[in-house]
Amino acid sequence: MPVRRVEHIMGLPISVDLRDGDAALAERAFAWLEEADTRFSPFKPDSEVSRLDRGELTREELTPDLVEVLALCDWYEESTCGAFTAQVPGRGLDPCAVVKGWAVQRAADILREGGASVFCVNAGGDVVTAGEPEPGKPWRVGVRHPDLADQLSVVLGVRDGAVATSALYERGQHILDGRTGQPVTGLLSVTIFSDDLAIADTTATAAFALGRDGIEWAASQEDCEVFIVDEDRRVFSSPGLPVHMC
Amino acid sequence: MKRAIPVLLLSVGGLVPVWMYSPGAAHDGELSEVAAPEPQQQTQKQAAPQTTGSAPKTTGSAPKATGAAPTTQQQQQQAQTRNVPGPAVQTSEGTVQVQVTLQGTKIIDVKALRAPNSNPTRMALPLLRESALKAQSADIDTVSGATATSDGYKQSLQAAIDGAR
Repeated sequence: MPVRRVEHIMGLPISVDLRDGDAALAERAFAWLEEADTRFSPFKPDSEVSRLDRGELTREELTPDLVEVLALCDWYEESTCGAFTAQVPGRGLDPCAVVKGWAVQRAADILREGGASVFCVNAGGDVVTAGEPEPGKPWRVGVRHPDLADQLSVVLGVRDGAVATSALYERGQHILDGRTGQPVTGLLSVTIFSDDLAIADTTATAAFALGRDGIEWAASQEDCEVFIVDEDRRVFSSPGLPVHMC
Repeated sequence: MKRAIPVLLLSVGGLVPVWMYSPGAAHDGELSEVAAPEPQQQTQKQAAPQTTGSAPKTTGSAPKATGAAPTTQQQQQQAQTRNVPGPAVQTSEGTVQVQVTLQGTKIIDVKALRAPNSNPTRMALPLLRESALKAQSADIDTVSGATATSDGYKQSLQAAIDGAR
């Protein structure tokens, strides 16, 4: 029985469109997202992240989940020479940029392990899909136009995959260059298609933090196809991007 | 672009005999040469090859700036930095032409003067396609793009999709 549900967790509207599961399975996915927020939010004083940041926990005392998240943070920080960082100078530890995609991907894994094979999860514009909503047809994932909220810049056709977009249009300049602490410039919108939302989301954020250098950097990442709009409204896209012809 | 690489290498290879011959040939006007005015600029050119991006316009090897310290022609040839453009080669992808920069008899830089799709961005990003941003509306199942706030979500395409079913 199809289930559609929207919840606000981690400050994000999270939509689950489950075509072949039940409400209990959707509930398990949402419960995991609530748990991830409780454990990894830097805004909750009792979270594991806050306790680590205050020095109440050492890296050896962390749960394997947070170790995994921090390893992802470290990898992307190194790969971008510090443009992407979970630790902007003068601020507390904030692994949110990794936690979001990573946690939503795990929510999708919970749906899959629970027997669902056709679903679409959308968390604040970051998407994980599975299967086909109609026989022979992929999920049609529209990428928001950076200037026009009700328009699309491209539509991707995705079966089992993840699409993440990092852009400036809504929250203002919310991505900082870790090397300078200043808001990044150069790009308007970075969309990454990958197998895994943790990869897609973090790659999108990191590419954004790199500015124009992020175009080539993202395109060279393994298992990532890109659709990037720069400040001059030029589009750079990978030949392997699954563009859906409408 | 894959084909352009061997072509570039062949062009460089083809330049070697030309370059071996160049001390005398330059005066015959067979080759276009530009003498770098002073050593500081040679260093800059190595660091930022694009500063030598325009095709050499002058012919002949008479250096202007190095005239301040006159030397024999042989010594000048040892010290001079010269840009020597190779022949333009037609390929199925377009015209390819490379230029070598020589310091004395040593190649210190090679760059493409002309290459297929010679937009600099495409040269730098062979994996990517470049196009103009377009706006479209289409029947879709979901939207990628940060709708991170509640207010933003309420006004978003995704909210319309979530509410429509």
